[in-house]
Amino acid sequence: MRASLFITCYNDTLFPETGRAVVRLLERLGVELEFHPQQTCCGQMHANTGFRAEAFSQARRFVALYRNAESVVIPSSSCVAMIRDQYPGLFEELGNESLRSEFATLLPRIYELSEFLIDRLGVEDVGAYFPHRVTYHASCHSLRGLHVGDRPMRLLSKVRGLELIPLEIMERCCGFGGTFSIKNADVSSAMLSAKLEDVLSTRAEYCTALDNSCLMHLGGAMHRQFAAMRTIHLAQILSATEGSPPEEVA
Amino acid sequence: MSASAPSRQLILDRIRAATQNPRQSASNAAELSRSYIRRGKLGVQERLKLMIERLREYDAEVVDCVPEEVPAAIGAELASSGRRVFVAPEGLPAEWLVAGFDWKIDRGLENAEIEQAEGVVTAAFCGVADSGTILLHHSPSEGRRVLTLLPDWHLCILYASQVVETLPEYFDRCPSPGTPVLATYISGPSATADIEMTRIKGVHGPRFLNVILVRDGD
Amino acid sequence: MSGTLTGHPVLDPRLAPPFPIAALPLLRNAQLRENVAHATDVIQSKRARLVAEKTDWQELRRAAAAIRSHTLEHLGSYLEEFEARCTAAGGMVHWASDAAEARAIILELLRQEQASEVIKIKTMTSAEIQLNPALEAAGIHAYETDLAELILQLGEDEPSHIVVPALHVNRSQVREIFARSMGLKDLPDDPKALTAAARTYLRQKFLTIPTAIGGANFLIAETGSVAVVESEGNGRMCLTLPRTLITLAGIEKVLPRFADLEVMLQLLARSATGERMSPYTSLWTGVTPGDGPERFHVVLVDNGRSSILARPTERQTLRCIRCAACLNTCPVYRQTGGHAYGSVYPGPIGAILTPQLMHMEYAQSLPFASSLCGACYEVCPVKIDIPKVLLELRAQVVNQERGRAARLRDPMFIGMKVAHAILAGARRFRAAQWLGRIALRPFIRKDGWIHTLPSLGAKWTQTRDLRGLPSQSFRQWWTARGKEER
Repeated sequence: MRASLFITCYNDTLFPETGRAVVRLLERLGVELEFHPQQTCCGQMHANTGFRAEAFSQARRFVALYRNAESVVIPSSSCVAMIRDQYPGLFEELGNESLRSEFATLLPRIYELSEFLIDRLGVEDVGAYFPHRVTYHASCHSLRGLHVGDRPMRLLSKVRGLELIPLEIMERCCGFGGTFSIKNADVSSAMLSAKLEDVLSTRAEYCTALDNSCLMHLGGAMHRQFAAMRTIHLAQILSATEGSPPEEVA
Repeated sequence: MSASAPSRQLILDRIRAATQNPRQSASNAAELSRSYIRRGKLGVQERLKLMIERLREYDAEVVDCVPEEVPAAIGAELASSGRRVFVAPEGLPAEWLVAGFDWKIDRGLENAEIEQAEGVVTAAFCGVADSGTILLHHSPSEGRRVLTLLPDWHLCILYASQVVETLPEYFDRCPSPGTPVLATYISGPSATADIEMTRIKGVHGPRFLNVILVRDGD
Repeated sequence: MSGTLTGHPVLDPRLAPPFPIAALPLLRNAQLRENVAHATDVIQSKRARLVAEKTDWQELRRAAAAIRSHTLEHLGSYLEEFEARCTAAGGMVHWASDAAEARAIILELLRQEQASEVIKIKTMTSAEIQLNPALEAAGIHAYETDLAELILQLGEDEPSHIVVPALHVNRSQVREIFARSMGLKDLPDDPKALTAAARTYLRQKFLTIPTAIGGANFLIAETGSVAVVESEGNGRMCLTLPRTLITLAGIEKVLPRFADLEVMLQLLARSATGERMSPYTSLWTGVTPGDGPERFHVVLVDNGRSSILARPTERQTLRCIRCAACLNTCPVYRQTGGHAYGSVYPGPIGAILTPQLMHMEYAQSLPFASSLCGACYEVCPVKIDIPKVLLELRAQVVNQERGRAARLRDPMFIGMKVAHAILAGARRFRAAQWLGRIALRPFIRKDGWIHTLPSLGAKWTQTRDLRGLPSQSFRQWWTARGKEER
């Protein structure tokens, strides 16, 4: 089984360890991974901030790059949501029929990581070992955009040694919202404060999610407050085995 | 009104321009597909039980009786209310005007007179069990709208045969379009939750709702 | 000094500060945040329970969305049908193309009635057209009769929620307002006593003031009827007791058939207040001799709605039935309350409706007042894809900015253009990553994290740290690994 990894612009730059964990995990499961060095960004940041024309060109590049991929795996549900929800409208607006139909054939081959594991590989137990107390935050894009449902929970439930502590309100937005965190920094911080109260009260050691965007926001506040909890991407938990814990990041 | 005729045309022109290309094929609202529940599944007894349950959730008082007992049941309800002066719609059945109380029949009562009354007794058009709603069409036995608005206490006589389970079933029971001309749907006494979300009963409109459910067809 | 609703700049989109600025003092108001959180939690949990119980909830939403979409597609004919039937039944229908005209029509009707006072049922449309200040200026005193609107009017405050407008006010604040305006200095602060005080105060108004102004939840085209849904009974009072009734309604309020209410009524109360049905629904058609007002006027208001109708994606905004479920679920609204939106329509629906009613000339910060979490779309009974409309409006705002010189002084605009240039190719992207590492190095502290950043970055670091950029990007690691393996 072959798959092409779309690492995403922000994971590439800020969270390479998540990418390394995806590689470790998928290769362990027998997937032959490729990585197109020409990749940059799906265009979400621009599309969501009103810079649609700019997002067009990024969308075009994405489709051109992956038109022949067997599958595309993306460890970020917000990027997958961008591709699934907004690319169709973008291409229709562009009026480019060949591009639109090319995308239509590519779309079913695009997977968020938990979707790839469960739907494409058909596995729930990935042989992971992570003996810690963990709480799971359902990022809005994964929950309401992709409808990943209970896939992440099913994967987490098979991780040996892991104790899952549910959030009281798992589905409430953490307040990141992309450029919202800058344009409406005060409100974003208030939402963060409310979410963090819930997260910290679980007394878990780690908070995990499908998106480093949410985790960067939650983790940034945890670090600022010297909270005794850290964030970690789901890929890193799933890639960890008994002899090989996830990379330590400060 | 002719004074706003230019605006009328302007608005309609704007709307026409905005809706030039209808995308949906349905040109008639009746053609739209509807897959929600229209008919209930409960049997008669369960339906009545649900109606009573929902009414009581609103703190409405509910008693039941058979048709022959209606006047006696009314008498009992009126007596236990501690009230004496009641308004009645003009078309209320004569046998419901039980003796021992001060009845004001509405043949054009002034609001001030209705204000003097302590309660009102009416029939109803329908009851919807799902929401515990009493639906009035303001027929002669149900009375003008003001009658069930000003007094503080409302006794409603509802027949089991008038009770349906779902709201769509009520709409099925309405005769042709254009009826009712006037309607009031009552789901519990008036309430507000405007102050700290604390539900307070009885802001305006009757604070007390009593229902006699008449088991006709048992 | 009269109450506002709204002569107050707080809710005038032309005068209100941008959302981020309006929000800050509200975020610092702990009492407000507590009130808002409490109120929205209560309604949300009641709603959730009833939605779970209603096994055909999704089918109802689909049907409601279809009915409303269909209505909007044929709005002209349905409005004409409503007008014909209402007129045949003794009502008088007026058309107002904008707020100023609506005010003028109403003032003229009141002049004909020689009215010096009116009683009002809550109608957001009247706040939208800024009716009350116009009435005051004409020497007509308007008594708000909804408890919340009464609280706001007497307290010279503004609504902060569509359905529970005074939710930002707590009981002792209400007590203080009532004690002062009703002259009841020994009034206790429990909600029961406060409600009883309002009941007594308003009773006289209902029985003596012969002219009422109200709104409509639905206009029924097939029969020319109007439906009003309410909890308190003040609506019934205003609809039944006065001699003259003026109903103000946006043109989008129409439904094709009486039977369509079977869908809308099942959705509305569950969404708005978490009840299966609101205590009272009133339906009337024109004038009925001997029962209710002798004179009945409907004022249909456009005020920007026909422009929204014309736009394919945005048209769904007009499906709204003003239930406010989107407000109750919105994590942004939860923190700020309604006043931050600078409009009579706050929350997610306000974020898309308000700028559009203003023809995108004002309230341009509102489409950005959202983290795009999508919770609103999930609860909307008529399935308005609010996030999709938000994105569309954001693009329009940015397109406006493209034409302005001021964009060159906007760090966000410049940042996005630079980012786009960087993301256009892999080589530039790698170069930018390398530059970024160098540029950020001075900001990295001993623990490897960044605590403070300049310019836009400061918006992040005001409450969050940022991990220093790793010295090796993922693609660099991949490339190096590939070389190792060879």
